[in-house]
Amino acid sequence: MIHFENVGMRYGMGSEVLKDISFNLKPGSLHFLTGPSGAGKTSLLKLMYLAHRPSRGKITMFREDMAGAARKDLPKFRRKIGVVFQDFRLLDHLTAVENVALPLWIAGGKGAVIEEHVEELLTWVGLKGRMKARPPTLSGGEKQRVAIARAVIKRPDLLLADEPTGNVDPAIAKRIMHLFVELNKLGTTTVIATHDMGLVEEVKADRLHLSDGILQLIKAGQSLPETTSFDPAEFETTSLDQNEYGPLGYDGEDDQ
Amino acid sequence: MTKAIHFLPDEETHEATRLLPYVMAVMVYLSALALMGSMMLNKGFGDMTESLSNRLTIQITTADAEMRNAQVDEVTALLRKTPGIDYVRKLNDVEIEKLLEPWLGKGNVTDDLPVPAILDVTVSRDLTLNLDAVRGMLAQVSDNIHLDDHQQWLGRFLRLMDMVEYTALGILLLVVLATICIVIFGTKAGMAENREIIAVMHHLGAQDSMIARAYQSRFMKYGLKGGIIGLVLAFITLVSLIYLSRDLAEGLVRIPELPVVEIAVLLVIPFLAALISMLTARYTVLQGLGRMV
Ligand SMILES: Nc1ncnc2c1ncn2[C@@H]1O[C@H](COP(=O)(O)OP(=O)(O)O)[C@@H](O)[C@H]1O
Ligand SMILES: [Mg+2]
Repeated sequence: MIHFENVGMRYGMGSEVLKDISFNLKPGSLHFLTGPSGAGKTSLLKLMYLAHRPSRGKITMFREDMAGAARKDLPKFRRKIGVVFQDFRLLDHLTAVENVALPLWIAGGKGAVIEEHVEELLTWVGLKGRMKARPPTLSGGEKQRVAIARAVIKRPDLLLADEPTGNVDPAIAKRIMHLFVELNKLGTTTVIATHDMGLVEEVKADRLHLSDGILQLIKAGQSLPETTSFDPAEFETTSLDQNEYGPLGYDGEDDQ
Repeated sequence: MTKAIHFLPDEETHEATRLLPYVMAVMVYLSALALMGSMMLNKGFGDMTESLSNRLTIQITTADAEMRNAQVDEVTALLRKTPGIDYVRKLNDVEIEKLLEPWLGKGNVTDDLPVPAILDVTVSRDLTLNLDAVRGMLAQVSDNIHLDDHQQWLGRFLRLMDMVEYTALGILLLVVLATICIVIFGTKAGMAENREIIAVMHHLGAQDSMIARAYQSRFMKYGLKGGIIGLVLAFITLVSLIYLSRDLAEGLVRIPELPVVEIAVLLVIPFLAALISMLTARYTVLQGLGRMV
């Protein structure tokens, strides 16, 4: 699904914020992306959601070369990716419903079907009473849930979430994690950047750990290894198949 | 939920482009006036030159009245026999007095003033008249006979009309160019203002053409709105000018008629403004986005 090979990234003329990143994420896998603030988590996600091109190395996604993809082909790939941005990036003049409907509308969906889907999902994330509210009137946690709903509404092939539980209380955080896990079980490859270690402990998933722009893989349940060098050939991840959660209320897309 | 999501904020919140329709109105106003002016001159003076183009004027300046009258008769007879001449008529005293009045003032044309005899000659449109032959013929009668075919005057007048027309076209061209520049500015300002929205739309998988469509339809509306305002103002200006000048210029110059059909053609101006505005915005957006990552 995602293959990085010796990828480096820098902003403008600055020094590399990501160095020699190599990994391979299998379709349907779920990973946490951990690391201290400033380690480069958001930057790595930016490469994955095609907001930035690498300064070196090779990125293959959806079996195609992304580093050299033509600009006009990007929308096609971006429509397969759902992103929860760290700062939400909702459109302030649109209602919650419209914000969440946007990916469906962009992909050419029809009004009535969109509305049903969107309202169902917003209800599920606990925003039933805030459908017509605009982001400036929403709390941080509410905005975050709208952003999450927008990212998952199309049931993307790849879900990238940047600190998605940073602004919500633990109960909601847990609920959102359930959503991600359920979505992952339906086949969505998922990468969640977080520094909420509680969350990481709860879901037994492999971790991509970033520190100073260097990436390490940590198998589920293990802690940070002392060694900093490893063999990229072993750097293969497996899909998440443990299932410690029961079925969730989110079944709005079963008709697909 | 409406079918289309308006992902660009309303015009009202759009500081950069809110004034654009009014600038467009000024542009359309100027170009409509330039066009109307040139059309009216063209139509009005076109009729005038048309009526002069098959006329000759012959002046007989012989001082002695008896001799002059004899020459008038002779020339009239000669001309009536000449093929290519339809009609010859001597202007009577009242008509001549009227012609001289603007120069001499009313009542100053007295009997003892040596006034030339004037023949008004209508040339056939079907036959071409050899003017040199006619001049030769007249010269044999007397040296005091002068033929004026108005060509020199007409030529100069037509050149002046051409100049006026080119000036109007030049103004039009400049106004169109200025309009395009303003739309480019407006579009760029609008894009800068909505930079974040455009970035998010891209991340959600929107194509450049989708973003361009939002801008082009917005700028099409600006063009249409401005175009209608500008054209209405131009019509009001034109009608008041004609109305006022009819009173002021009574008897001095003939105010050309309002050429209704041609003026009606001006109704397409708002649509042209909308089209120019739309295409410019589309091109500007696609150009601008092409330079993004
Ligand atoms: N737009 C940017 N321009 C320049 N430097 C940036 C930009 N965004 C992030 N950085 C730098 O890149 C490094 C990694 O940042 P980031 O990817 O946001 O880390 P994290 O998400 O793990 O906190 C930091 O040193 C940060 O200062
Ligand atoms: Mg970050």
